[in-house]
Amino acid sequence: MAGPLEQFEIKPLADLSVGGIDVSFTNSALWMVIAAVLVTCFMTMSMRRGALVPGRWQGAAEVMYEFVANMLKDNVGSAGRKYFPFIFTLFMFVMFGNLLGMIPHSFTFTSHIAVNFALALVIFIGVTVIGFMRHGTHYFRMFFPEGAPIATAIILIPIEIISYFSRPFSLAIRLFANMTVGHIMLKVIGGFVGLIGILGVLPFALLTGITVLEFGIAALQAYVFTILTCIYLHDAIHMH
Amino acid sequence: MPQFDIATFSEQIFWLFVIFTILYFLMSKIALPKVGEVLERRQKNIEDNLGKARALKDETDAAIAKYEAALAEARDAAQADIREASEKAAAEQAKKTEALVKKLSKKTSDAEKAIVDAKTDAMKGVAEAASEIAREATDKLIGVKVQAKTADKAVSAIVGE
Repeated sequence: MAGPLEQFEIKPLADLSVGGIDVSFTNSALWMVIAAVLVTCFMTMSMRRGALVPGRWQGAAEVMYEFVANMLKDNVGSAGRKYFPFIFTLFMFVMFGNLLGMIPHSFTFTSHIAVNFALALVIFIGVTVIGFMRHGTHYFRMFFPEGAPIATAIILIPIEIISYFSRPFSLAIRLFANMTVGHIMLKVIGGFVGLIGILGVLPFALLTGITVLEFGIAALQAYVFTILTCIYLHDAIHMH
Repeated sequence: MPQFDIATFSEQIFWLFVIFTILYFLMSKIALPKVGEVLERRQKNIEDNLGKARALKDETDAAIAKYEAALAEARDAAQADIREASEKAAAEQAKKTEALVKKLSKKTSDAEKAIVDAKTDAMKGVAEAASEIAREATDKLIGVKVQAKTADKAVSAIVGE
């Protein structure tokens, strides 16, 4: 029987290399393509009629649009409007990645630290660039809040710097840990079902409950990833 | 753990950027503008309809106000007519009553006069007859011819009391 970690293995489907760097098309890339295609189909085909009174699919697409738009408006304000396509793409990509991972024998690309950290790093760098572009050197005030006594600088500044630079790590590791642990748990408990005969109904019932929970976590972690991005964006645009 | 296999990082990150970038352009150039446009159109449609409903309501209110004004005017006019008619009727009635009263009082006074006349005549007749009888009686009883003037005086003295 396959070990609980086997599901995370990267398997090359087509070997490719650019300038000596390995860029093989893998199962991870395949599921990214599937996620992107599904997101695109969902957002375009449902809106094809653009009906005044939306049908089921159009209603769902509109709900996603308004959900992310409201998240951005509530957390960043109107200044975040131009980042909406990025935030929306991020949310849909991560959520579809998480949800597609719930299909048995599929691959969860969001369970990989490389993917999550790359996304988080892009967000971190992007947010920092936006901050410096908007506020210039004043953006360094991020590390020392306005109105704090000068004597506290020696403690506050290192804390603020550490918390600022830990953002991409917390963003990436949270998603990675949630996805990985959930899938390992499903696999391990699933292994018990066949092993213990008739008593297998117990882990099976547990598995059913955890599966429901995992679907919730899949959506929730995509939301958390996105809302934290919105909060970082708010800090960059408005400072504290 | 496969997640910490650094050898797979480059391929994962490469395809992540490729696919994410393509998805970003598909969303920002095609999908999201369409959704935004549909939502905006719906919002505009709702606002238009609300505006239309508001205009229609205003129109209805104006019509109702006009109707009520016309109704009040008609009521006032009708009341004025009724008042005028009843005043006219009352005046006519009063005039008729007065005429009738006049006529009746004239009749009454005529009748009273006639009675008084009749009574006077009758009294006169009675006095004449009494003096005649008195003269005849004195002549026959005591053989004294009383003069008519004296008898009349005596009778009227008794009757007048």
